Amino acid sequence: MIPSHGKILIVDDESSIRRALHNTLHGMGFTVDEAANGEAALQLVREEKYDVVLLDINMPGIGGIRACREMRRSLPRLGILMLTVRDSEEDKVLALDAGADDYITKPFNIRELAARIRAAVRRSSASQVDPDAVIRIGIIELDPARRLVRKAGEPVHLTPKEFDMLRYLMAHAGLPITHARLLHAVWGPEYGGELEYLRTFVRQLRKKLEDDPAEPAYLLTDSHIGYRFAEAKPEPVEEKS
Amino acid sequence: MRSQLRVLRGCLAGLASVALVTFCAFRLNLNLSTSGSLYFLIVMMVAVVWGFWEASVTSLIAVNCLNYFFVPPVLTWRVSDPQNWIALATFEITALTVSRLSTRAQDKARAEARQRAEVEKLYELSRRILYLDRRLTIGPQIVSLIQEIFRTESVALFDAALARLDATGTGANDLEELARSAYFQDSALEGADAHTRADVLRLGSRPVGAIAIRGRELGRLAIVPIASLAAIALERARSFEKESRAEAAHQTEQLRTAVLDALAHAFKTPLTAIRTASSGLLEAGRLSTDDTELADLIDEQAEHLNRLTSELLQMARIDAAEVTLHRERVSVLTLIEDVLAQYSEQLHGRRLEVSDSASDLEVYGDRKILMAALEQFINNASRYSTPGSPITVTAEENLGEIIIAVHNEGPPIRPDDRERIFERFYRAEEARHRATGTGLGLSIAKKAAEAHGGRTWVVSDAATGTTFYFALPRGIRRQVDSVARQDSDR
Repeated sequence: MIPSHGKILIVDDESSIRRALHNTLHGMGFTVDEAANGEAALQLVREEKYDVVLLDINMPGIGGIRACREMRRSLPRLGILMLTVRDSEEDKVLALDAGADDYITKPFNIRELAARIRAAVRRSSASQVDPDAVIRIGIIELDPARRLVRKAGEPVHLTPKEFDMLRYLMAHAGLPITHARLLHAVWGPEYGGELEYLRTFVRQLRKKLEDDPAEPAYLLTDSHIGYRFAEAKPEPVEEKS
Repeated sequence: MRSQLRVLRGCLAGLASVALVTFCAFRLNLNLSTSGSLYFLIVMMVAVVWGFWEASVTSLIAVNCLNYFFVPPVLTWRVSDPQNWIALATFEITALTVSRLSTRAQDKARAEARQRAEVEKLYELSRRILYLDRRLTIGPQIVSLIQEIFRTESVALFDAALARLDATGTGANDLEELARSAYFQDSALEGADAHTRADVLRLGSRPVGAIAIRGRELGRLAIVPIASLAAIALERARSFEKESRAEAAHQTEQLRTAVLDALAHAFKTPLTAIRTASSGLLEAGRLSTDDTELADLIDEQAEHLNRLTSELLQMARIDAAEVTLHRERVSVLTLIEDVLAQYSEQLHGRRLEVSDSASDLEVYGDRKILMAALEQFINNASRYSTPGSPITVTAEENLGEIIIAVHNEGPPIRPDDRERIFERFYRAEEARHRATGTGLGLSIAKKAAEAHGGRTWVVSDAATGTTFYFALPRGIRRQVDSVARQDSDR
């Protein structure tokens, strides 16, 4: 049940965390390397090929965010997961803007971390997707070429902006998309601070797509950071197919 | 106000000159018109050097000398030819008129020079006010600066905000009194003598103090611009002081934040290692049932310790926030949505319902702190309510307050406990057995509300359940749905 799941680089200045992560992840079938700071990590990613880097934000030296930016510049397909603490939303947004794929809050449950790592490994090993390919997540289906959205087979009428927003979120399903990035992608680069736009559109989309807009199963909020479209199929019924 | 001595000196000089000219002209046998012009010249010079009155006296002496020595028959007061009367009269009138004019021009030039000097001094005052030492009290510096630049005898300054009097120079006691009464009567005052005046210091129309000055060299109206400059200097000092106080508060907050962040890091690191190890052991699945139970316990307690740490830090941050709240306009609906997004996994099957009434309400507050407070309410409701029962979050505006209410079903809170559960570390007797709380949550909510000028309370009975309320002073109403309508109209 445990094939080699990928190669991971752990970057944290705390040796106790590196030790704990190293042993657990190794026990779960990952190949693991360690680095104690951003500089050493940059050196390692140049020499070795990793699927995912677990990168602590708060480190002495160049720190996690700069290290993340450097890695992203040279390795666009590398999975980068930031390790953060609660109450540092600004750091999380900075990290995502610097090119990180996702973040996880310390202290985390290893099961959750493993799930994120697996998703990142999948993404980094997946081949380039056709931008016009139909995206199907749970009971939501989006056809970019025909600009069509169906929920459980029923067509859903969306305004052009709602469609663009949904398409962007679904194309990046499972990943947190910052408010600014979403505004840039849908409204253009001159937008960035108009959070109420987003909230209003997200509310509309939830009304049209979710069974219970108050407890969304697909279009999820990342408090302070942005939105994330659910990656796994949330409806167990769908698992059969 | 020239002294009589000076007038006398002028007259004597005029007299002496007239005597000299008379002697010379008489010896040289000059005729009437030539000697008349010489006298005229003397009158003019006296007018230029001394002034009108001296020139008038000189002209009278001159006309008499002219009559006695040069108008035929000479060496008598008689005038034989009537034409010579006209000549004498013309001489006198012309002399008087011209000396009047020349004195006037002189006075004007003198006044202009004085004004220029005054403007220069005012400019110097305004320039040097910029360089006053901000660390020292400003009042004494202003008075000695005015004293130095305007060479006054004494200056007194009343600063209304500090109720402080500063004075310099001799006999300043009555000046202090004058300045104080100018402020309280809110009008410019004249002092006991002609060189003493007081005026009110104003910023816009608001009086901020008064200044009194005694000085002979000071023009009558010079006090008005001096008062304006002094008012500006006071205000400047005050805003500097405010700024440095704000700067100090800001630094305190930065320091506190730095300490809290360091603490957070110091606690979270071992907790992360423990949780990684415990959940890793569980995940590996190689443990016996007993071992699993133990690893579970470690995991659970590490998480509890983590929550306790988070809440302690949150509490400390809110304590710090009493100094500085980072306020912004916060949509109540967004606030609720953000909190629910964070808490959705921890509801353990309890349903959450949000009322529509929240949709267009806004508060003006610190988003993070408000979120922390609401989080505690929802956390509390999810822990103490009957599993599977709904938790309802509503928001409404009532009598100038935005009231957010979190309702849950479940056993009521005892009346004795309703006040005390908001205290730090207090936990109701029943709660200690039922749920793993920290005893901090509700006190965080209470602190957060109070930091915003709001309040918290709870209503609880067996029939309807428990509702926690969080009330904040009202912000601004706004329609946020208009954007959506624009798009759907396309």
